[in-house]
Amino acid sequence: MSPRSPALPAMPPRAVSLRSLLRHETLLALILLAALALLALANDRFLTTANLLNQGRLMTEVGLIAIAMTFVVITGGIDLSVGSILGLCAVLVGVFWKNLELPLPVAMTLSLGVGTLAGLVNGLIITRFRVPPLIATLATLALYRGLAEGISQAKSVRGYPAWFFELGQGSIVGIPTQLWLLLAAALVGIVVLRSTTFGRATYAIGNNEQGAAFSGLPVARTKLLIYAASGFMAGLAALVFVSRVTTTRSDMGTGIELDVITAVVLGGTSIFGGRGFVTGTLLGLCLIQVLKNGLALSGVRGDGTVVIIGAVLIVAVLISNVLKRWNGE
Amino acid sequence: MSLEVRTGPPAGAGNGVARLAAGAAPAQVPPMAEDAPVVALRGIEKSFGPIHVLRGVDFDLRPGEVHALMGENGAGKSTMIRLMSGAHRPDHGTVEIDGAPTRLSGPAAAQAAGIAVVHQELLLFPAMTVAENIFLGHAPRRRSGLLDWPRMRERARAILDRLDCPDLDVDEPVSRLSVANRQRVEIARALSRDARVLIMDEPTAALAEADVRRLLDVVRSLRAEGVGIVYVSHRMDEIFEISDRITVLRDGRTIATRPTGAVTEAGLVSMMVGRDIDRLFPREAGPVGETVLEVRGLGAGKVRDVSFRVRAGEILGIAGLVGSGRTELAQTIFGVTPATSGEILIGGAAVTVGSVRAAIGHRIAYVPEDRAQHGLVRPQTIRENISMAILDRLAPRVMVERGRETRLAEEAIARFAIRARGPGQVVAQLSGGNQQKVVLAKWLATDPRILILDEPTRGVDVGAKTEIYRLMNQLTAEGLAVIMISSELPEVLGMSDRVLVMNGGRVAGILDRAEATPEAVGAAMMTGHAA
Repeated sequence: MSPRSPALPAMPPRAVSLRSLLRHETLLALILLAALALLALANDRFLTTANLLNQGRLMTEVGLIAIAMTFVVITGGIDLSVGSILGLCAVLVGVFWKNLELPLPVAMTLSLGVGTLAGLVNGLIITRFRVPPLIATLATLALYRGLAEGISQAKSVRGYPAWFFELGQGSIVGIPTQLWLLLAAALVGIVVLRSTTFGRATYAIGNNEQGAAFSGLPVARTKLLIYAASGFMAGLAALVFVSRVTTTRSDMGTGIELDVITAVVLGGTSIFGGRGFVTGTLLGLCLIQVLKNGLALSGVRGDGTVVIIGAVLIVAVLISNVLKRWNGE
Repeated sequence: MSLEVRTGPPAGAGNGVARLAAGAAPAQVPPMAEDAPVVALRGIEKSFGPIHVLRGVDFDLRPGEVHALMGENGAGKSTMIRLMSGAHRPDHGTVEIDGAPTRLSGPAAAQAAGIAVVHQELLLFPAMTVAENIFLGHAPRRRSGLLDWPRMRERARAILDRLDCPDLDVDEPVSRLSVANRQRVEIARALSRDARVLIMDEPTAALAEADVRRLLDVVRSLRAEGVGIVYVSHRMDEIFEISDRITVLRDGRTIATRPTGAVTEAGLVSMMVGRDIDRLFPREAGPVGETVLEVRGLGAGKVRDVSFRVRAGEILGIAGLVGSGRTELAQTIFGVTPATSGEILIGGAAVTVGSVRAAIGHRIAYVPEDRAQHGLVRPQTIRENISMAILDRLAPRVMVERGRETRLAEEAIARFAIRARGPGQVVAQLSGGNQQKVVLAKWLATDPRILILDEPTRGVDVGAKTEIYRLMNQLTAEGLAVIMISSELPEVLGMSDRVLVMNGGRVAGILDRAEATPEAVGAAMMTGHAA
């Protein structure tokens, strides 16, 4: 999981290894294993390769966005507009391809570009005009969704060529295609956050933005890039989504921002900024998906599942807080 | 040095030790006929995990006395204050209130016992009014249970009048108050709970001279009313002026408790650091080189038409009242608020410093006044803080080279004698002086030619202060040009080769070391022109 670094042996040994082990991520991994075990016992259709791979397919869209959202939340921000950007990009793929008769790869690229641009606009509103991210992206949540609905004219687009469905429905060496995409994005996210100057700036901004600026770190540029990346990932998720469900509709991705933020926060990223890991987000993502699927298979109704996920979120955050206090932070 | 064994009864403990360490005034037997102590600590020990912070603290506070608590940063003063205010409980030893051993279960219990703390960083609610802040949590209520606003405002008014603050409006939101007034509100809050014991943690650290005078008057009048006051400060003159007794803490132990009249400044300093400090300001001026930085007619915001030059190997002190534009000038040179007029020349060539990055590129470093907000990212580790300004140099190929970064931090810890568990320790856990050393290490890692120090010894204990002065000598000897902004006149006069005095955003005068007498600098600060 950790990127290879020649310097790793030079890290000072932690004083108390037991305590450092009991971090949020470890805790989450344990809960995940427990959930897997319990659900497997309760239902024999749950712990099968086919089912788990299918669940991986279903969680990819949320996962892609959640990786970028981890960065956003670490800077102390939030991006509520990702669901609307997803909808807008999905609609635009259809419009570019069907109405403007562009080749599908070009339509996909343009759509990704629009997603990135939408994120960049969020970033500009936040950094230039100093609008709090919550307000800025709440506004663009409405704005981008409105654009998507206006452009689509409530018409859905179907009939994409077969190769396009490989992205959302096909597999490579037995693993769903989009899961490879998620894996690649996760690796990039982990390495960038852990080991690059960009990742360092992300943490520093979240912990003390002024302190970061006084150290010569490019605060505005970093935030701008992060919001742009968030838009890009929402665009990417849109492509996967369209390919998976074979159609484009303007209401796609409605409410997905809440699933994304739940995964990020459950993964241990502080909503106040400054701390968090991509690996935590991935664990949070898996835990939610496992619960959703396992409980559904065990006959728990949808509303019951939502209640359980809410309860797990609260319990995980509570235990994490207790651990933090115990670690003397 | 810290191997002395405490012997004898707690009350007199430390006297023998102190005599050995200080070689100063002979130990006086404290007057016995005083009132019984309101609060007393007996043989207190306290550890946090593996760190033994308090190793035997004895302390007592009588009603109507100002008892100064002194010690280097990291000596255990803060922990001791937290014990008295109920935030921590001792591992060994007892806290006595009115002579009876008491277990303070929390801050509420301490408040109920009449113990209140005026914190270093004022813990007020900025959006609420003065009256609301004073009565937060125990506001007067009507019989219906609703807040009794008229009575609350009336009582707030009465308390503020008692503190001699007729100019403070009880309906003003706290966010609009000056630091000095916020502090008065915090004191008023303590009094509103009928505090018999007031613990003041560096109350004057952020105050200008005139406000310090007013605060000391308040302390005197509270003392006259019978309030016992624990007064923590690094400023010697204040301690000698206001306190009745002084307790010195070192390495978590009580070294001595003495009547203030029985100790000298030098004796006190050597008790605190455990060694003699011959001179407080050991400026050793070396050879002065070429002009490194020149500023011509610089203007930005409050700063107007400032011109001066600094040469290699020189310390230029900048004096001025709070609000005279000293920090703004520094931040303009450092690119935080880029200049709107005038010129900056480095090594004779005009340059534009439009950002902090540009300043770092021109090898300018700035150790800011506000350590917590601007100097450090305190929730992060020593390693991450020290490398923060040179991250791009540590990452020649995108990835930050963790090994080099760790070595850099380890070297800094050794070179600056930073007291820490290691490079991975979070900066917020360090004492003020050690945090300041981390800031210095961070900026010296950028290999600067021009070093701007803004209040470099604020909130720093005597021992660390001297270390910082020594470091300044060493740096100028290596050819750095140093600009030092300070509100402490003795520091400016003691360490500067030349003194630039600011007033109202302009240069009031530049004085050579020989001309820079307290009177001359003081006059320029007040009037805006050198005599």
